[in-house]
Amino acid sequence: MDESTKRLLQRLMRRIQTQMLRTTLDKWGRLTGEQLRSMDFTLSKWALTEKLLAICEENELAVKHITELEMICESDVIDNPSQGMWYAFQLMDPEGTYYDAHSVELTQFKEQFKSHLRELIRHVSVKIKKHTDEAVWIRIAWGDTFSRPNHMKPTYVVHYLQTPYVFVTSLTSKQKPLLSQALVLSTRYQAIKDANLSGRKLTAIRDLLMRQYHQVFPTRYPAPIAENDQTVSNQHIEREQAEPAANRLQAACEAFGGGVLPQLQSAVYKLETKFRDHSNKTMTEREEPFKCVVKFASTNLLESLRHCASSGIASTPVTPLLSSIPLKGKNYFVITDNGPGPSSQMRQPQN
Amino acid sequence: MEQHHNSVTRTPLNSVVVQRRSKRKSYRLSYRSCLGAASRLGLTPALTARRLNTSRRAPKSHNITEKVDAAQLTLLVKTEWQLSYVTPLYQFRHTQLKSYSRQLSAFIAAEKQQGMAVEVEGPQKTFRVSFSLVQGLTESDDDAETVLIQIYSKPVFARQDEPQKPVWSGWLTCINGNPEYLGSLPKDFVCLPLFGSSGAEGLTTLVKSWFQQSFDCCFGRLEISHTSLQWLMALWTNCHNEYSIQHLKMIWTLPAEPPLQVTYTVNSEDAWELWGSVRKGNREGEEAEEKEEESSIDIEEVTRFMQGLQSHFYRHFRLDLSAGSLNQVSTALGSAKYNGRIKITNSRYMITTLTLLTECALLKMPI
Repeated sequence: MDESTKRLLQRLMRRIQTQMLRTTLDKWGRLTGEQLRSMDFTLSKWALTEKLLAICEENELAVKHITELEMICESDVIDNPSQGMWYAFQLMDPEGTYYDAHSVELTQFKEQFKSHLRELIRHVSVKIKKHTDEAVWIRIAWGDTFSRPNHMKPTYVVHYLQTPYVFVTSLTSKQKPLLSQALVLSTRYQAIKDANLSGRKLTAIRDLLMRQYHQVFPTRYPAPIAENDQTVSNQHIEREQAEPAANRLQAACEAFGGGVLPQLQSAVYKLETKFRDHSNKTMTEREEPFKCVVKFASTNLLESLRHCASSGIASTPVTPLLSSIPLKGKNYFVITDNGPGPSSQMRQPQN
Repeated sequence: MEQHHNSVTRTPLNSVVVQRRSKRKSYRLSYRSCLGAASRLGLTPALTARRLNTSRRAPKSHNITEKVDAAQLTLLVKTEWQLSYVTPLYQFRHTQLKSYSRQLSAFIAAEKQQGMAVEVEGPQKTFRVSFSLVQGLTESDDDAETVLIQIYSKPVFARQDEPQKPVWSGWLTCINGNPEYLGSLPKDFVCLPLFGSSGAEGLTTLVKSWFQQSFDCCFGRLEISHTSLQWLMALWTNCHNEYSIQHLKMIWTLPAEPPLQVTYTVNSEDAWELWGSVRKGNREGEEAEEKEEESSIDIEEVTRFMQGLQSHFYRHFRLDLSAGSLNQVSTALGSAKYNGRIKITNSRYMITTLTLLTECALLKMPI
């Protein structure tokens, strides 16, 4: 094993938790039963790394085997946001019928993707693997005309074959057009665009975009959804506030969802609307838009917004600007006025 | 020097009841009410019922480089300082700075030997302290000259000609201090109420202890209140026609579960126009001759400015920003945080910012 492969393995070992190590190595399947048994999982991480390096040398494993292990870790094992930001993309304009576009077969996709990418850039190392939840994980190590693929900075791409959604992390702007082209050619779509959604947790943005979280629908009969913790306070206030609080909670959940919400970290709105404040005539008469940028940030943004709505910090009904986040699955918006109209009209988020 | 328009109420030393003239509660700092009692005993000088100025002079670009040494200015500008207030210093002499430098070095060395918390990378470092006078950084005749303190770390085996960067810096200043208060201090006291420090916490504590021991003074945390942050926003935006502020950025924190941070950045041109529209002299259709009105800014204008910004935000998001707290304000001229950190990025409007901060320090002081 050469130096760079060793470094790759060492870096990988630093990121795996010791308790997950055994199962991961099992899944990997490159160690014999005896070798697996010889590893003492009570030792320190450093000692384990050395042992693993020795075993890999013994088995004469190469870089491609280590990258297999990395893929397993990324997709199954490491739950915490390690890679930085994931960005969502959407494939557009399917060729042929809906059925055609969504019926791309896995093997066909794999072959086409690899061959297209290799045509675009000579030195590239691609690994594709399908997961149980219909996701196809692709690991790309980029090289260029003169150098071998760099395995220390791989790009990960996750595509759900039956949907037009693609999630990407660690992609530079130079690599982006190459990846886009390869994706478009190997699926039956004609273009790919930015879905304006980004976040640290893949599962969160995936759930948001593909609507796999607990949605709450308007109920005719106000049956309040049980809140998790009830802070006990004055009985009179409780009685008086019970109904408005229940209404607020219902509105909040309708807008953002009930139960556990996908963990989004931020949302950015670029506002280019006219200034709106009736008490200030000069500014309201102004023709040019009042340009500003508003960024909301939190460890769990949707949770915070839902709490704002249910506690009254945000007035209900929740404005479409905020409820667009879960509704459209986006967290970057450019808002402009949609034509002249009374300022009481709701603004339409565009694109 | 032009007197400020303010509602200073002088507390007669022997009176019993003090009537508050202005009804604006928002400026009343909470501990004033308990100090009212002390004033009845005639213990405190005239500053008791004072509150933050309700109007101030509009900032003008001071070509401060004419008055102050450029090298010293670069030390003050573009660093983030942590602010504290200091009570007046007893028998502090601007002529004895060299001696103070030696005393402080000795003090730090002694404390280090006792094992006090000073961050040192290796056991061999000693510290060299330098007190210097920043001449020209004052406004009125009553202000004491600004003093700059720098601590350099001196490795024992260093060559003589190695240029050293300070590991800790601090300054004491008084800009446009309230003349009545300054006049009322007993003779031997020097008032330099605003203290800024940048560097290791351990060294800051040592410097403060030395001052407390040598000059019988007292340090305390200075937070930049919501009102002061609004003032800074308005004052900085007011400078836009002379020097572009590039953007007006506010950071709010809303008390949601988990806490929500809102960063609201306004384009500089739009902020400037909004500011212009809330100024008193700007009535629709009027050709206001603003020479006189422009030169002073009232708190109402500042509040209207903030309300305009909050209102525009509310129209879009139906989120009430006043339910949370304003943590930080920044423009190209500097940034100010609620926890008392300030950074001045351009020396031109420095005097105005420091005037506001000196006032905050004087108000926060217990005596």
